[in-house]
Amino acid sequence: MLRIILACLLSLSLLSSAEYMGANSYGSDDFEAEFNAKNDAKLFDPLSGYNEIMTSFNDTFYEYLLRPTAQGYAYIVPKMARNGIANFFDNLFYPIRLVNNLLQLKFYNSWEETERFVLNSTMGILGFHDIAGEELGIKAHDEDFGQTLGYYGVGSGFHVVLPLLGPSNVRDIVGLAGDMWLNPINYLEARDANLLDSTEESIATTAFYTINKTSLHVKEYDNFKKDAIELYPFLRNFYESRRNKLISE
Amino acid sequence: MKKILAVVVLTLLCVQSLFAIEEHDISTFMQNNIDNATTILRDKKIQKNEKSEKLYAIFDSIFDYTLMAQLALGGKQWAALPPAKQSEFTKLFEQKLKKSYMEKLDLYTDEKIVIKNLEKIKDARIHLTTHLMKNSEVYEIIYKFYKDKNGSWMIYDVDILGVSIIQTYRTQFAEILAKEPFEKLLEKLKQPDEPTPKQ
Repeated sequence: MLRIILACLLSLSLLSSAEYMGANSYGSDDFEAEFNAKNDAKLFDPLSGYNEIMTSFNDTFYEYLLRPTAQGYAYIVPKMARNGIANFFDNLFYPIRLVNNLLQLKFYNSWEETERFVLNSTMGILGFHDIAGEELGIKAHDEDFGQTLGYYGVGSGFHVVLPLLGPSNVRDIVGLAGDMWLNPINYLEARDANLLDSTEESIATTAFYTINKTSLHVKEYDNFKKDAIELYPFLRNFYESRRNKLISE
Repeated sequence: MKKILAVVVLTLLCVQSLFAIEEHDISTFMQNNIDNATTILRDKKIQKNEKSEKLYAIFDSIFDYTLMAQLALGGKQWAALPPAKQSEFTKLFEQKLKKSYMEKLDLYTDEKIVIKNLEKIKDARIHLTTHLMKNSEVYEIIYKFYKDKNGSWMIYDVDILGVSIIQTYRTQFAEILAKEPFEKLLEKLKQPDEPTPKQ
């Protein structure tokens, strides 16, 4: 009999201890704080009206112009060639990555970027083949000036959706302006060296780069967009969280 | 009598330990789940519907959909709803999550997922970091666990590339509810995937 009572007591105490643990961990306030801390409660979005309109403009542009063009292009150009072209452009953007890695004092990454540039430009035939990444496992370290500013503690500022370029924020727009100087496919008269001869060439090249890149990711993007219930907050949240993550890396 | 009671107590204890995922088990438990899931995904003989059903059987035991729905909606909104609406919303939200996952299956080829790190954030929170490898790219996915009422560890959120799934829905729901009534949100959850007809 004593045993039974003991067993009962034991099981009861186990149950209550479980409940006690539960009460401790399952504080919904705790969860609320975790998610509110991120951004939704005190979100400062003064341009929301404009941003929403620009989001649907960009979306229409993508749906009716960019995607059909990219798909037509993908139909003509084999995937291997498109991958090569994407690699070629990524290799060209080396100055942006190098300078921003250096600015963030990421010297090892800067060195790896340089190794990649040298190897891919030579053995990889002008960067078409990512030899460093595929054969030697030396990965690119994407950094831009927006991330550099973030690295030094500059806040993102409010969200701004740019025409054609898509989601951005005040900090990253400043960053874009900085990176423009380092981007080889831009044409800037004030810059001493230009790869291209005119603004027209620069626009055409950028368009080609964009179409080529889009053609490689149409499926993923469409799939990603399907998750959206409300496109503007969906993209805004994705962009801001992603940028924060990239800055912290 | 003694025996019966002993059996009852024993089964009670067993049930408890069967369903509770202990802290030190999370890594192996998740590795098994991931391995099982990958085997199912790679099996070309299984139809897509059957595949997802098998996968859901794995997920259902570790995802706390009710809490996820509650967090996605936000505490205040949730508390203001009658229980019937809460469960309707939870159901729709769970379907939405699963549907979104189903669509991702189409993109699956032969990615590998490896567990990188298990970190105890707080007493009742654990983050399990995994890496999904595709071609030469690495994507970071973090499963966030909490200790539930039964002392079992359950997933309440997943971070993909630094983007929290719950946060993504939370911002959208907040935006919708700022302008429209709750019924409208339910409607949007019901048929979210139809491409909006452009007038």
